[in-house]
Amino acid sequence: MLEGAEFYFNVDHGYLEGLVRGCKASLLTQQDYINLVQCETLEDVKIHLQTTDYGNFLANQTNPLTVSKIDTEMRKKLCREFEYFRNHSLEPLSTFFTYMTCSYMIDNVILLMNGALQKKSVKEILVKCHPLGRFTEMEAVNIAETPSDLFNAVLVETPLAPFFQDCMSENTLDELNIELLRNKLYKSYLEAFYKFCKNHGDVTAEIMCPILEFEADRRAFIITLNSFGTELSKDDRETLYPTCGKLYPEGLRLLAQAEDFDQMRRVADHYGVYKPLFEAVGDGSGGKTLEDVFYEREVQMNVLAFNRQFHYGVFYAYTKLKEQEMRNIVYRSSSFEVPIL
Amino acid sequence: MGSLFRSETMCLAQLFLQSGTAYECLSALGEKGLVQFRDLNQNVSSFQRKFVGEVKRCEELERILAYLVQEINRADIPLPEGETSPPAPPLKQVLEMQEQLQKLEVELREVTKNKEKLRKNLLELIEYTHMLRVTKTFVKRNVEFEPTYEEFPPLENDSLLDYSCMQRLGAKLGFVSGLINQGKVEAFEKMLWRVCKGYTIVTYAELDEPLEDPETGEVIKWYVFLISFWGEQIGHKVKKICDCYHCHVYPYPNTAEERKEIQEGLNTRIQDLYTVLHKTEDYLRQVLCKAAESVYSHVIQVKKMKAIYHMLNMCSFDVTNKCLIAEVWCPEADLHELRRALEEGSRESGATIPSFMNTIPTKETPPTLIRTNKFTEGFQNIVDAYGVGSYREVNPALFTIITFPFLFAVMFGDFGHGFVMFLFALLLVLNENHPRLNQSQEIMRMFFNGRYILLLMGLFSVYTGLIYNDCFSKSVNLFGSGWSVSAMYSSSHTPAEQKKMGLWNDSVVRHNRVLQLDPSIPGVFQGPYPLGIDPIWNLATNRLTFLNSFKMKMSVILGIIHMTFGVILGIFNHLHFRKKFNIYLVSVPELLFMLCIFGYLIFMIVYKWLVYSAETSRVAPSILIEFINMFLFPASETNGLYSGQFNFGEILMTQVIHSIEYCLGCISNTASYLRLWALSLAHAQLSDVLWTMLVRVGLRVDTTYGVLLLLPVIALFAVLTIFILLIMEGLSAFLHAIRLHWVEFQNKFYVGAGTKFVPFSFRLLSSKFSDDVA
Repeated sequence: MLEGAEFYFNVDHGYLEGLVRGCKASLLTQQDYINLVQCETLEDVKIHLQTTDYGNFLANQTNPLTVSKIDTEMRKKLCREFEYFRNHSLEPLSTFFTYMTCSYMIDNVILLMNGALQKKSVKEILVKCHPLGRFTEMEAVNIAETPSDLFNAVLVETPLAPFFQDCMSENTLDELNIELLRNKLYKSYLEAFYKFCKNHGDVTAEIMCPILEFEADRRAFIITLNSFGTELSKDDRETLYPTCGKLYPEGLRLLAQAEDFDQMRRVADHYGVYKPLFEAVGDGSGGKTLEDVFYEREVQMNVLAFNRQFHYGVFYAYTKLKEQEMRNIVYRSSSFEVPIL
Repeated sequence: MGSLFRSETMCLAQLFLQSGTAYECLSALGEKGLVQFRDLNQNVSSFQRKFVGEVKRCEELERILAYLVQEINRADIPLPEGETSPPAPPLKQVLEMQEQLQKLEVELREVTKNKEKLRKNLLELIEYTHMLRVTKTFVKRNVEFEPTYEEFPPLENDSLLDYSCMQRLGAKLGFVSGLINQGKVEAFEKMLWRVCKGYTIVTYAELDEPLEDPETGEVIKWYVFLISFWGEQIGHKVKKICDCYHCHVYPYPNTAEERKEIQEGLNTRIQDLYTVLHKTEDYLRQVLCKAAESVYSHVIQVKKMKAIYHMLNMCSFDVTNKCLIAEVWCPEADLHELRRALEEGSRESGATIPSFMNTIPTKETPPTLIRTNKFTEGFQNIVDAYGVGSYREVNPALFTIITFPFLFAVMFGDFGHGFVMFLFALLLVLNENHPRLNQSQEIMRMFFNGRYILLLMGLFSVYTGLIYNDCFSKSVNLFGSGWSVSAMYSSSHTPAEQKKMGLWNDSVVRHNRVLQLDPSIPGVFQGPYPLGIDPIWNLATNRLTFLNSFKMKMSVILGIIHMTFGVILGIFNHLHFRKKFNIYLVSVPELLFMLCIFGYLIFMIVYKWLVYSAETSRVAPSILIEFINMFLFPASETNGLYSGQFNFGEILMTQVIHSIEYCLGCISNTASYLRLWALSLAHAQLSDVLWTMLVRVGLRVDTTYGVLLLLPVIALFAVLTIFILLIMEGLSAFLHAIRLHWVEFQNKFYVGAGTKFVPFSFRLLSSKFSDDVA
């Protein structure tokens, strides 16, 4: 595509970009968080949220209020906004939106399959599924017994289909295989999304590629961390790493050989981006966990995405920021449910 | 001049409300709408305030009421709106009201839940019957095939294996049937094919009548389907897929008798359900009708109560915690009323210690209150849109009442158009109590709110139209023109004299395309037309030049008078705020500058009008050149530096900037008033074009067809006149009149940095249902 998004971007996507920037202004501020900290009950949280852009979103909920009600309503609100964006988008922005939903779809599929494995009813699990990743065929996921079954019968017509190229196998879906499936799907998904952004070029590529690179590397680190002490072989582990990050290829090869956290940290030391992140991690007794540090870095990148104009990254960044905000509110709210000792 | 000239004097008052009487006192205050509360708890977040519990209770009541209204609306029961608004409920009644409402809600929810359940049941049964009816057609085919199963084996006696297999399959032949949403049929069939790899037979048919979804009330089209399959494994899968696509699956009868039995059973059950459902609906209606009687007053009462608690949340407690302290802004004229309201409130609650108030001196700027009536309101809104006036400064709205319609009319001068506008506004004014107009939306609402402005604008346009002598771009000869063409033929002179004086004769008239009337010839010009422009100009080719010169000069004169008036109003402000030096050092120099340059310009214009007559017009100097020369030949002097200069510092800078701004402003503002001329010209030309392009074309056609043609021509003329000349041009003239007021006039004196006085008044609460339902 031609360079110079500023010449034509607004023709197709100007309205939506304006809209998403307006939505971004409705994110909670520092002052709001200070007030949230002062809250003592869920009712307080509700009253405070009423003064923000969330408005009366809990007005029709009958008492008693629970964290899950707040969470569901917040998700619904985000979903409504997202649907609005998506319904008003033109190509290639709509493909971009489809890519964005894919990650939620993967999560939902895996969630449902895990549920089927534990013999839970579909309805019970459906409540937990992320509304952004909802699709009709989703509920039929548990008729499949092997990954290729899953692909052929259920997912062949969904946007997830192209990501199955690496994971067609006849293994029965036990817990480990489901986890492997998730990671493989995610790997293909990230790589495809990265390729899409790269091919799109322009500001979108400049903004989205670093974010996706970071996402890929984060997954590589987390996979490594979680595989310590499991039966996953090092070769298998390497096949799960997404190859679109900064760590590819040497870093990933080193990570595959890592055997404990320190070795992992040593790999990260080779990279200027990740060295400070690992340095910020506290040592067991307290401080931040690796995940917290990654979250912080992600939020930072998403906020910076709003500094540039004429690109799709703002939609991605807004969704991610809103999700982080929802996590914050739920985290804050859930402290009321358990008795504080 | 009274209250419109300056905003009212305000004072800060402290109310000491005994905690037992605070609610009643505020209720009394809210009914009267006298005071504006100041928030004394600005640093306290909304959920930590004193009366948050009560506010929450109000919200709960609001939720219940919204639910009631929603149910009542859904049942199509009319909601009676009371004429009088009930007062806020006494505290004793609140609990009762809450209990009553909660009971009502529980009952209502139960009944509606029952009803929904019944309706869902009914729907299921109906769906089942539909399914049975439709699948019958599929089954007929099956019945035909059925014997072949049994007749097959004897034909193929030798293939025993096949036969037993067939038997086995035949025994396990299963059916799943049900209904599926129309939009999902295709995907459903595809997935069945993919999963079961073709070991199924799907037949489906569209259901002829769409069914209503009891939850959303949506009407959905359904398909009835029948899947036949072999084998248990596949059966499980099929069932799961049915679940996935939210199919409504019903048991499929194996034999014809069973089918008949089921159908009969269903029919009786449906009948039963109908009767039960009707009874439930009747009961629900009764409950709702009863609720509908009181729901309006409850909504208003709860709103008032919530407003009172919001205000109480702004008060602070005194040290003893026995009384609430509120700080309010109150117009001095209303202090007496305020005291009375407090007494009333105390009396009502039967408290022993009455609530009382103190005025306290303050350095803070009070809010601005300008009382308006329905006539002045529109004009005040024009001014407020620019900026709410600072406390006690001169309010331009008073003068805007006349100047605004006048400046508009200068640009919109056409008494035909003006009269139409006047009639329209008059219609609005005469029917202003009509409920349809009061509740109108958007553009109509805008016109309605500005009806008095429109009325004056129309009237003034009629006046300026008369002055311009323009009626739908034509001039009207009311008094007889002051010019005489026949005098140009005067035959009392000798031919030589005639030639010298430029008199006309036959050859002149025949050979010249343009003829000129000469006012210096006796008898040609008999004196000015009594009112406005002489209609003979309508025939003249140099009409435009003449009118331009006239309108341009008029614009400058009007503009300078307007601006000078603004500067003089500034003096009133300085006098009021005791800024003596501002008068000497700002207003007087401003006036001097303005009058010495532009005042002189006006003088020159008027002088030229008065002194030069038709005879001397050829030697009259150009004002423009005179005016420019005045600037081009100033005595150039160099001002030397002198010792002992002191540091003006910032004062000098701001003063210099202000002076430069003012001087440049004066020039550009005066030029800006030329828009009066430009728009007036544009308006006149546009209506002229409309006339020549349409009506004149229509009038020229010969009489037989002309009548037929004239009808559509006149209709088109009327439509274009209204939309282009009245509405579009009117809006543009309105816009420019606003600009002249806001920028050119008001920047001479108006600061507009005030805050509006917003009293705590129940009247400002919306009293409509639609708002809280939405």
